Amino acid sequence: MSNQRKRNFQIEAFKHRVVIDPKYADKTWKILEHAIHEIYNHNASGLSFEELYRNAYNMVLHKFGEKLYSGLVATMTGHLKEIAKSVEAAQGGSFLEELNRKWNDHNKALQMIRDILMYMDRTYIPSTQKTPVHELGLNLWREIVIYSNQIRNRLLNTLLELVHSERTGDVIDRGIMRNITKMLVDLGPSVYVHEFELHFLHVSAEFYRVESQKFIECCDCGDYLKKAERRLNEEIDRVSHYLDPRTEKKITNVVEKEMIENHMLRLIHMENSGLVHMFSDDKYDDLGRMYNLFRRVPDGLSKIREVMTEHIKETGKQLVNDPERLKDPVEFVQRLLDEKDKYDKIINFAFNNDKSFQNALNSSFEYFINLNPRSPEFISLFVDDKLRKGLKGVSEDDVEVTLDKVMMLFRYLQEKDVFEKYYKQHLAKRLLSGKTVSDDAERSLIVKLKTECGYQFTSKLEGMFTDMKTSQDTMQGFYASHPELVDGPTLTVQVLTTGSWPTQSSVTCNLPAEMSALCEKFRSYYLGTHTGRRLSWQTNMGTADLKATFGKGQKHELNVSTYQMCVLMLFNNADRLSYKEIEQATEIPASDLKRCLQSLALVKGRNVLRKEPMSKDVGEDDAFFVNDKFSSKLYKVKIGTVVAQKESEPEKQETRQRVEEDRKPQIEAAIVRIMKSRKQLDHNNLIAEVTKQLQSRFLANPTEVKKRIESLIERDFLERDENDRKLYRYLA
Amino acid sequence: MRKEDTVKLISAEGFEFVVDKEAAMVSQTIHNMLTSPGSFAERQHGEVTFPEISTTILEKICQYFYWHLQFASSIDLNSENLAVVSGKETEFPIEPELTLELMMAANYLHT
Repeated sequence: MSNQRKRNFQIEAFKHRVVIDPKYADKTWKILEHAIHEIYNHNASGLSFEELYRNAYNMVLHKFGEKLYSGLVATMTGHLKEIAKSVEAAQGGSFLEELNRKWNDHNKALQMIRDILMYMDRTYIPSTQKTPVHELGLNLWREIVIYSNQIRNRLLNTLLELVHSERTGDVIDRGIMRNITKMLVDLGPSVYVHEFELHFLHVSAEFYRVESQKFIECCDCGDYLKKAERRLNEEIDRVSHYLDPRTEKKITNVVEKEMIENHMLRLIHMENSGLVHMFSDDKYDDLGRMYNLFRRVPDGLSKIREVMTEHIKETGKQLVNDPERLKDPVEFVQRLLDEKDKYDKIINFAFNNDKSFQNALNSSFEYFINLNPRSPEFISLFVDDKLRKGLKGVSEDDVEVTLDKVMMLFRYLQEKDVFEKYYKQHLAKRLLSGKTVSDDAERSLIVKLKTECGYQFTSKLEGMFTDMKTSQDTMQGFYASHPELVDGPTLTVQVLTTGSWPTQSSVTCNLPAEMSALCEKFRSYYLGTHTGRRLSWQTNMGTADLKATFGKGQKHELNVSTYQMCVLMLFNNADRLSYKEIEQATEIPASDLKRCLQSLALVKGRNVLRKEPMSKDVGEDDAFFVNDKFSSKLYKVKIGTVVAQKESEPEKQETRQRVEEDRKPQIEAAIVRIMKSRKQLDHNNLIAEVTKQLQSRFLANPTEVKKRIESLIERDFLERDENDRKLYRYLA
Repeated sequence: MRKEDTVKLISAEGFEFVVDKEAAMVSQTIHNMLTSPGSFAERQHGEVTFPEISTTILEKICQYFYWHLQFASSIDLNSENLAVVSGKETEFPIEPELTLELMMAANYLHT
């Protein structure tokens, strides 16, 4: 191919038509110049493309490129000057239209000229490094038309005025705006930026500064946000309609800064409509709007988060410290759950499930739940209530949901061991009185606790369940070996492992003769099958079913506690018994006896006993009779003991003390574990490590930890360093 | 074949070749001629006169247009040279005596 081309050139030189006519170039240029004029005058239809192209082609071929190019520049400049004049002359509104029309004309003409002069574009321009025709046309347009003194400012002002009038609600011709801005972009990004965008942003900032000031004076927070959102959308819409896409980021920044960032704090704290108000009124829409708008500005979300945390902490504090609320633990916990649900919902709907908000929510809950030392007890009571009656007729899934929610509150607790203590007590009561609604629910909760706190936490709870099961087997075995007992009173014994169950100091009361005989039989059976064990009766925790016949012959089955049974059985042999007599015969502790007599004689509809005198309280000198007038619609009558649902003050102290006692060995164990691995450690670090290790169960009190350290030093587990008294050393 | 889809190419001697616009637009020059905004005479009448191209060459050019449409997609397109050929079946035959004039026409037509 290359040699072909070579030969081509040689022959071309030979064949080349020598230009004899010196006027040739001028003549040809005249033709082309004429054509360019015609094109600008919309008269192109008469021209032959082929002819013009051929002329330009030949001119370039015959080394008249320079002449052609400079001629083009001169002609175009002339035309553009005329155009500039006619644009300048345009009045008022027609200014943009005129400019736009001329621009379109110029563009079209430019394209035609470029097509005719294509050969020059292809060969002459690259070799001489001149500006290609199209670009040349744009440059000339910019220099002559746009930068003309009278057009430059007028164009800018007109554009800005139009934007302003659109902002204030007028309808403007968006098409022409789009064309003009497009023209500026076509002339080069820097032209657009300098001739329009910079001024536009500046004016917008000014506009929104004034407007936001006006709004914030007269609107509430919700309305303001709505307005801000609308403005923001308008600007985005504006950009998409007639501005360069790159402007979007810039103009939204301006709006964000002027309308949101500058007024952020004022909006959040606005009285009667600020953030706090939205929270209390569940204004999801407004909250969502606020989230979306504030997310755009730096620090916006953290401001919201701060206020939310503050607000939750504040309301939570009121909640946990409100003495009214504390009267009903179930209600109390329900309130906590409601509160949590509320904020979960807000975060979910309005805050886009933002992780940082969830964390803030969790930490604020943790903060205020632990403000009240009784929270662990109440949560356990809540679970107790749910598992006793609350879950009846509720589907399994709902049970799970409720339990999960409780677990969530549990997670916030710092004193998990206190919860464990109470939970154990309540679980024991539930199990022994057979009040558990659903074994599955019980077990699933224990599994949840296990995953949360580990095996150690739940091993005793699980032990309780095992005891219940083995007791059933034992009872079956007992009756199988004593077939003669089927006719008499039935005894059900639950054998509980000491240690797993929260045993209270057991004061055995005197059982009625029938029962104690039965108990003896069981004792001998049980000790006969299991050697080396000790059996003691916990009469304070049992229940009994009694068949009773009253004065008019009506029969009832009474479901009572063991103590109550003991009292009632006494009336089999006597009509009237004084308080003292009862106390002597049964040896029930005074407080329990009073409570049990209260429930037998004073509760309306359940008063199987009659008391003299008819006072509200049980006194030492009272006397009791069988209430022959007792009647009830039901055959089975359940006589509940007046149970102190919530712990009384001394009991609370006691539990507290037990918890503290239990903590001691745990703290010591933790100290020893840490020291064993570290060998030596200074005081502060040791305390920190211990606190960290025990965090999953409770918050260790530094003074307590210090006491434990002292005690360990006394017992020669640790020693202080001789030089540095703050340093401890582990003694193997 | 509709009239709008064709274009008439006229040689120096006045011979007329009616070809598909699609084929004619293989030439960048003709392409511009027919698509340039603001209608030139050629676009209005649908005919182009080439006073500097002889009938023989124009005929060859028209053949090339169709050959190009058919095969060019499989050939490297960056060439302005008619002589670009590859493989026996797709070879575009050029008589040696036409080569020079064809080269000049190709340059002119930006093909």
